[in-house]
Amino acid sequence: MFRRFYLFYGFLVLGTAAFGQYRGWSLDTINQLKNVPKSVRDNPGSYRSVYSGYHHYTGGK
Amino acid sequence: MSIGTPPLPGPPKPQAKALNCPKCGAAITLRSFGQAETVVCGSCHSILDAKDPNLAILQQFEAATHAVTPLIPLGTRGKLRGADYEVIGFQRRDIKVEEITYYWHEYLLFNPYKGFRYLSEYNGHWNDISICKQLPTVERGFSSGPGSAANYLGESYKHFQTAEANSDFVLGEFPWQVRVGEKAVVTDYVHPPRVLSSETLDKEVTWSIGEYMYGREVWDAFKLPDSPPEATGVYENQPSPVRINLTSVWVAFAAFAVFLLALMAAFDILAKKEPVLHETYQLNRADARGESSFVTDVFELTGRTSNVEVKTYAPVSNHWIYLNYALINQDTGQAWDFGREVSYYYGYDSDGSWSEGKQNDTVVVPSVPAGHYYLRIEPEADPLLPGVPYTVDVTRDAPVFGIYGIAFLALLLPVVLVSWRAYTFERARWSESDHPPAQLSSFTSSSEDDS
Repeated sequence: MFRRFYLFYGFLVLGTAAFGQYRGWSLDTINQLKNVPKSVRDNPGSYRSVYSGYHHYTGGK
Repeated sequence: MSIGTPPLPGPPKPQAKALNCPKCGAAITLRSFGQAETVVCGSCHSILDAKDPNLAILQQFEAATHAVTPLIPLGTRGKLRGADYEVIGFQRRDIKVEEITYYWHEYLLFNPYKGFRYLSEYNGHWNDISICKQLPTVERGFSSGPGSAANYLGESYKHFQTAEANSDFVLGEFPWQVRVGEKAVVTDYVHPPRVLSSETLDKEVTWSIGEYMYGREVWDAFKLPDSPPEATGVYENQPSPVRINLTSVWVAFAAFAVFLLALMAAFDILAKKEPVLHETYQLNRADARGESSFVTDVFELTGRTSNVEVKTYAPVSNHWIYLNYALINQDTGQAWDFGREVSYYYGYDSDGSWSEGKQNDTVVVPSVPAGHYYLRIEPEADPLLPGVPYTVDVTRDAPVFGIYGIAFLALLLPVVLVSWRAYTFERARWSESDHPPAQLSSFTSSSEDDS
């Protein structure tokens, strides 16, 4: 029973990996936005990134 | 050495004898149609000679302080393995290991046509036991070492335990001269769900074969009220909950891993890895005071929906820069917004030299349809950094190897889980044996065949 399940599961994992690779999946976290105005191209400052104001790391060890 | 079933008479006449105990006068019923050698008075616990018409007293034992009530009362009838049996005898036995006494119960069952068989119970674990039909063979002589085994009807049984068993309470009828305090050397060999046992008493060896039963099966067979006592711990011949051939599952995993490797190679070869933007920009502190954001030239992403890899390189040393990126589709207004930091620090302290971070960064934007795109970039930097160049590379359809890593773990996890479950079960089983887990070399061989 488990062996049959595992065979099915294994092919499902391989299929998902192949589909994900084909469709260009990524492991990175990316924020998606819609309807960004075309004026951004002429005035980049009018767009506010959700990541701006991020507090950065300022030192080493 | 004696083997085989006790001789059976011809068709018996139903003649349950009603007699009286010569010691206390209590009524005694003989249910085994003359097959019993001894019978125990349920009232005064005198062991009587069942073959003697006067029921001569063979032994008396004091049971008042530790009387045991059988879970299946004497006289109970039930259907076991397709045949009717009646419970006619009961005994409690014990072994002592490292000053700890372990008790188990044995029920003697009788069918006038099938003869005797036994049910044993220990901590809610049951075994259906019958006398061996053939003489088993013991490998490596009659030893109880870790490697010793017995063979019965073509099946190999591993040595589990050898101990001296003592009968400390008896009740009902027995086809042998039962005595309280009688000691026998019992050796168990296991091949779950079966157990092969030899019992040596006065140089006479009796072999029996038992098969594990769940309490519910016994309760159903004898139509007993309530529920059976819950089984605790793992019994020597208890079937493993992992009823699969683990080797075959690991082989399947290895095959999948090879497939995954092939898949990775194929996608790596087939991926377009098309460079669509390669630009170097300069970040100056003076510029940072005003609006620092800008946009790149428009570039075209072609082909099917696929990913976009954005690589950033900045030769920073003990500084950082941070880039707010937005990949924007010029035609649809759809945007992918992400921020990336490039920082690299190094130094020297009492532990020696150290370094942290790196001068490049890679991010993969998922599932981007074909179209015309540009990047909006808003750089930020360490206030102490006067200026730094940075390079941005955009590549269409890049392989993402992390997906294969996750797939590999997903394939591995179920196999590890069932293997661990099988291992812990077998470890618990063998920890009760003469060969504790330190000597446990193979747990897979104890698992049952795939069903």
